[in-house]
Amino acid sequence: MTRITRLVGGIALAAVLAAPLAAQAQTSDSDSQIMQGLSQATMFDPSLTAQVLRQMAQDAVAKNLPLTLDKSEIAKRLDKLAQITVQIQFALGSDIIRPESYRTLGSIADAMHHPILMNYKFIVVGNTDTTGTRAFNLKLSQQRAEAIVQALVTVFGVSPDRLEAVGLGQEALQVPSKPEDPINRRVQIFTIGTVGPMPKPMPTNAP
Amino acid sequence: MFRFAFGLAALLLAFTAGGASAQTMSYAEAGALIAKSCGPSIERFCAKDNLGTGEVRNCLMSHQDQVPQQCFDDYAAARASIAKRIAAQSDAYSVCSASAREFCAGIQPGDANLLTCLQTASKVVRPACKQTLTDAGWWN
Repeated sequence: MTRITRLVGGIALAAVLAAPLAAQAQTSDSDSQIMQGLSQATMFDPSLTAQVLRQMAQDAVAKNLPLTLDKSEIAKRLDKLAQITVQIQFALGSDIIRPESYRTLGSIADAMHHPILMNYKFIVVGNTDTTGTRAFNLKLSQQRAEAIVQALVTVFGVSPDRLEAVGLGQEALQVPSKPEDPINRRVQIFTIGTVGPMPKPMPTNAP
Repeated sequence: MFRFAFGLAALLLAFTAGGASAQTMSYAEAGALIAKSCGPSIERFCAKDNLGTGEVRNCLMSHQDQVPQQCFDDYAAARASIAKRIAAQSDAYSVCSASAREFCAGIQPGDANLLTCLQTASKVVRPACKQTLTDAGWWN
């Protein structure tokens, strides 16, 4: 398995110095925080795909794996990726994004459309707390992640090739010791790799 | 015509509110504008429709007599601005290629390297390139 280390510009370096990976719990409220989180110098994990994540969550639900006080295996692996956590307000028990969160969707699009991130792909992950059944939470979080991806694509023009939606339900709790705390309801966005090879250096005008 | 002028005024207001000289709103500003002018109507009439499906707009139209005109004007202004910004962002590479060849030879594109180089050369970069980068929201 190859692991790619890529340093994404000066902003990324500043972000790493300012916020080590372990301190990623807080929500990214400002536009610059979104950009910093998504462009952090980090290692990609090519084996951690949207499909693999969905399978891990489905298996955990199907086997009814016990919730531990530690972070789940899924959460631990995700922790290593460049990421942001945002709060998107949904209508109760549904995948309808409330208007108060349209600005946040736009902020995410601003970051994804910037040249710093233009060549990168992302996974949008929906998470719930443990209120409600485990299976329902898994389904709802998938639908919510899909609603976000759809809005980013159709309203804000982000290429669908760059986005995948994953619902993890309650399988990657932010604070496992407080499983019912609303803090666990959140949307995470992870930078998972490049769209294509980086372009060639600029040629000169010289003949 | 009056509606058009009104939308334009809203657009201009959004620019000044943004503080920068960008000719387009950021995507965040566009989202915020739709939420501000249409949010109450969306919550009231379209609570079962998601923004990304296009159904929110259809729903607002179907309640045209109860939705404030400001909502339609601002929604149109936000959409126009988003479209302009997307176009500028996809045109930027070709519009700026002449300037990039001239001033940024050997620069490795990606990770905003070209943009950084062009900004360093801002005094000599061609006006069309500068305008496209401004519309793209990348110049400032």
